[in-house]
Amino acid sequence: MKFRQWSPVLGLNQMWAIAVNSFREAVRSRIFYILMAFTVVMVLFSVVMSLLTVGSRSKIVIDLGLTVISFLSVMTAVFVGIGLVYQEVEKKTIYNVLSKPISRARFILGRYLGLMGVLFVNVLAMILLLAGLLLIFGGFTTGIFEAAGFIYLELAIITAIAVFFSSITSPVVSAICTIAFYIVGHTSNALTQLLAPDLSSEFGKGFVTFLYHVLPDLNILNVTDLIAYKIPIAEGFTEKALIYTAAYVVILLTASCMAFRHRDLV
Amino acid sequence: MRVILITMTNDKEAPAIEIKGLTKSFKGHLSIGRFQALDGVDLVVPGGVIYGFLGPNGAGKTTTLKILTGMLSPDEGRIRIFGEKAYGTAVASRIGFLPEAPYFYEYLTGRELLMFFGRLFGLPRKLLKERASYLLDRVGLTEKAGLQLRKYSKGMLQRIGLAQAMLNDPDLVILDEPMSALDPIGRREVRDVILDMKRDGKTVFFSSHILADAEMICDEVAILVKGKVVEHGSLDVLLERDVHFWDVSVKGWKPPAKLGDAVVVNRKNNVLLRIEREKAVQEVIDMAREAGGQILGVTPHKASLEDLFMERIPEG
Repeated sequence: MKFRQWSPVLGLNQMWAIAVNSFREAVRSRIFYILMAFTVVMVLFSVVMSLLTVGSRSKIVIDLGLTVISFLSVMTAVFVGIGLVYQEVEKKTIYNVLSKPISRARFILGRYLGLMGVLFVNVLAMILLLAGLLLIFGGFTTGIFEAAGFIYLELAIITAIAVFFSSITSPVVSAICTIAFYIVGHTSNALTQLLAPDLSSEFGKGFVTFLYHVLPDLNILNVTDLIAYKIPIAEGFTEKALIYTAAYVVILLTASCMAFRHRDLV
Repeated sequence: MRVILITMTNDKEAPAIEIKGLTKSFKGHLSIGRFQALDGVDLVVPGGVIYGFLGPNGAGKTTTLKILTGMLSPDEGRIRIFGEKAYGTAVASRIGFLPEAPYFYEYLTGRELLMFFGRLFGLPRKLLKERASYLLDRVGLTEKAGLQLRKYSKGMLQRIGLAQAMLNDPDLVILDEPMSALDPIGRREVRDVILDMKRDGKTVFFSSHILADAEMICDEVAILVKGKVVEHGSLDVLLERDVHFWDVSVKGWKPPAKLGDAVVVNRKNNVLLRIEREKAVQEVIDMAREAGGQILGVTPHKASLEDLFMERIPEG
């Protein structure tokens, strides 16, 4: 039988096949539609809330809408991401895949790309819904698409964290750890600013600073307030956010691949 | 200590599988102690045969197969597949694998599953489409090709599993318990597919504890007990070698009521003695002749695979 000789192109094709399959798996699962439906309900709820509020209605719709989209997309990333590798081992579907001429690293990367594809569709659908509501009720701004981009960057980091934990531990531990990282990621900046000045020892200050640099700072990807209040995003901010995200994702996925490479699939 | 010897050769005449001194242990319950799953397994599977890897549950069959397919790393030992180190991409391209009670992506249809796996082999799209259709037809699933796998019966899942194991037209097909959990019709279908594979010149290495099926189709077998190969070789030779009992038919002789461990069956004109020990056969014949009896026949009954299997498994 004629095979394509192994080449980087075949490697990419294999990764793509895994990604497409992961995408198909997610969009054919009930949990995806439940979370999507819940997001739609919550976005509509934010509109209702704004109608009951005195003040700038569009700001509330944008603020609440983007927060809901971000939070529920993160939940999708966490709850699909934690099972991404573990479930394949648990359900034994992985034996069929990895007995084929594909490396474990390409398998991990393919699974990650598949979930990022799902999240792309998820965020795109929700942001289009929000845009439609803003067009109807007033207050539409193209800034919400920028905000969606930043939400997607945050999802890229959260998904990479979930995949990392999924490749080394069980879904429950993965979920706890990933959510812990998400919470820490949104509070690390504030904690560092609050804690560091009060610490007397140099070691303590150094340790807090070290933790801040090691743990993700997801707040730097949060532009919801800026968009809601129509404050322009500073020059170079987007580039820095892209580099920050790329660095985090590369490190986490490399660690995932290394951890998974020699793992016994019992 | 983890010692894995890897030998890089690419000898076309090399055996399909060569395993030397394979050991594997796992952590015990609650991580206390270690459980020795494989304890120095040696095995040679020649090319072009159907090889049965037999043993009771927990003998280490699936562990061996998982090491062969790269899911587990051995603690020690050497594996070569077609003379090459196991388990790189070059080797994987020549192997088809069906795990035990195969789990597939149940949201895919039968055809989608084959297309997905085919892409992992790097099969060109047009060829893959043809191959998928051919294999669906071969395992009798053409009409069910568009059905999601969650709606497949166990037998159908096993058949689509066999189809995916043949996607790359492999030289070696490794099957883990391919006939377990199937009804007699399903088992027969799987047996037929395995025999077809052999006819196509492939080597089939399969684990099983269904001895009747193995006896019907295997050229060679190995019996694994508690992580060790206790018997191996050509099935014909193994069963030829082990005569289970002899029937001696004598006319005109009335044997004593108790004759060692022989079972005596009195018939109208003769007597039939079923004797287990070879030495006792000659003694009985001599005794009968001395008493004026006429030996009508001595028939050795060879052991079945089940007899051989039960003899090699220590009690308990």
